[in-house]
Amino acid sequence: MKPLGPMLALAFMLPLAACDDPLLDPQDQVGPNPVLPAPRQYLFPPMHLAAIVGWKDGEKPTVAKGLKIEALATGLEHPRSLYVLPNGDVLVVESKSPGTDPVKRPKDLVMNWIESIVTSGGDEGKKSNRITLLRDADGDGKPEVRSSFLEHLNSPFGVALVGGDLYVANTDSIMRYPYKDGDTKIDAAGTPLTALPGGPIDHHWTKSLLASRDGSLLYVGVGSNSNVGENGMEAEKNRAAIWEVDRATGRSRVFAGGLRNPNSMSFEPESGAMWTVVNERDELGPDLVPDYLTSVKDGGFYGWPYSYYGQHVDPRVKPERPDLVQKAIVPDYALSSHVAPLGLAFYSGTNLPQQYQGGAFIGEHGSWDRQRFNGYKVVYVPFSGGRPSGKAQDVVTGFLDADGAARGRPVGVAVD
Amino acid sequence: MPLAPSSTAAIAKHPIHAMLVPFPIACFVGTFLTDLVYWRTAEMMWADFSAWLITVGVIMGWLAAIAGVIDFASNRLIRMQPPAWWHAIGNAVVLVLATVNMFVHSRDAWTSVVPFGLILSGLTVLILLFTGWMGWSMVYRYRVGVAE
Repeated sequence: MKPLGPMLALAFMLPLAACDDPLLDPQDQVGPNPVLPAPRQYLFPPMHLAAIVGWKDGEKPTVAKGLKIEALATGLEHPRSLYVLPNGDVLVVESKSPGTDPVKRPKDLVMNWIESIVTSGGDEGKKSNRITLLRDADGDGKPEVRSSFLEHLNSPFGVALVGGDLYVANTDSIMRYPYKDGDTKIDAAGTPLTALPGGPIDHHWTKSLLASRDGSLLYVGVGSNSNVGENGMEAEKNRAAIWEVDRATGRSRVFAGGLRNPNSMSFEPESGAMWTVVNERDELGPDLVPDYLTSVKDGGFYGWPYSYYGQHVDPRVKPERPDLVQKAIVPDYALSSHVAPLGLAFYSGTNLPQQYQGGAFIGEHGSWDRQRFNGYKVVYVPFSGGRPSGKAQDVVTGFLDADGAARGRPVGVAVD
Repeated sequence: MPLAPSSTAAIAKHPIHAMLVPFPIACFVGTFLTDLVYWRTAEMMWADFSAWLITVGVIMGWLAAIAGVIDFASNRLIRMQPPAWWHAIGNAVVLVLATVNMFVHSRDAWTSVVPFGLILSGLTVLILLFTGWMGWSMVYRYRVGVAE
């Protein structure tokens, strides 16, 4: 059987899997000056998916010293973000992907299958795309009221209340609903304010929402329609951006661009500046590109897809845009690669220990496209003078069990 | 006239290998063409075409290889022909290159094609010209798989 020899030998030499992981400490990529290794491209990029096991009875996340943690509610369907109303009622936005990402390449078939493993609930036809209200008036951590606040939404994510107007950002539009203090349910049909880029594709579908201090403007986070422009740049029109929407007329403009997937914009209390967390691009290696926390300047451009961290050009994007690369702003604070920050909340209260006052809490959903897990925790970034002033500290951990399976994955963060 | 060496992997004396090989040949040539167009236009649609062509070509190519190896291994008369060896070894190289190329094409945007995808697609077509010629020699000169 001599003829089989060369064929089999060649077949086994195929370098299909790149298993080597870097020696870079994730901490080297936390802070204002992250270490950025050279980009690498793979035949099969490193991936490590956390199976979903959920929380068993008695299990809960681990918190830093001086803190306590309790579940305010359980049994939610794919909760994504939180909003606290002025009376202390907590809105939980339960949402699932619109599922309009088409199969354009064989790779999409594989990626859809992979995503179905790491997505908990939400895709099982259960009730989602709704907002649940939790009321814990006596502050004992056990809500007396749990009600279905708003239903039949279209992949909602952001919520903002201005006076008696409650705005909900569906994946394809901002809707306005009447709200008055104490309401536990909204029955009114909403009024559309502004259409948002939804389908076709709608790859990054979450639309964050933030009202300006004076209530005249709304800011909307609109993620990119691809990893790095592989669906064509026409599909990215007005995406990878934060929009500014005039609340009176619904007119919109791009406030800042080049932000691949911005989520959870918030105002820093001391400076009043807008900050956001951003999910950066994949498939340049386990240590590229670090996700980040940054202030957002009016008219600012932050690089995507042409470059990252200022002028580091991404070789995958053609035609190139040196004019845009040149003006790309370096983000303020790296959070390490692939941690997937989704929630951001500044803490200006005084109930938490002194060390957690004045800074930002960030919910890190956790990595999938690197061998060693990264993220899967809530961290605190101290601020001083309106700028980050130290290393991110772990606040809530224990989302992964000893076998590397996920009990849960952090998403939105809010302060009550 | 010597006896025509028979095909083992055959359905009603129709060799399976001969029925499958048009797919990888057409797909690999097609990949090279759509790669060329993507390289010149940077229009993602062409890279998407390339990704489908190379993937289907690789899958059908390995199936054709299985049928081919069965014929080759089970008939000494086939193994005695010099073109059969060139055809087998050359196409093993083609399949390995094309399989690597399929993974290169799974990258995102420009570097899924330029430069390595395009180079591999070109090499694949070059070798195919030679191995295809050898394959046609086997059938049209040595009558491999031709039913008497």
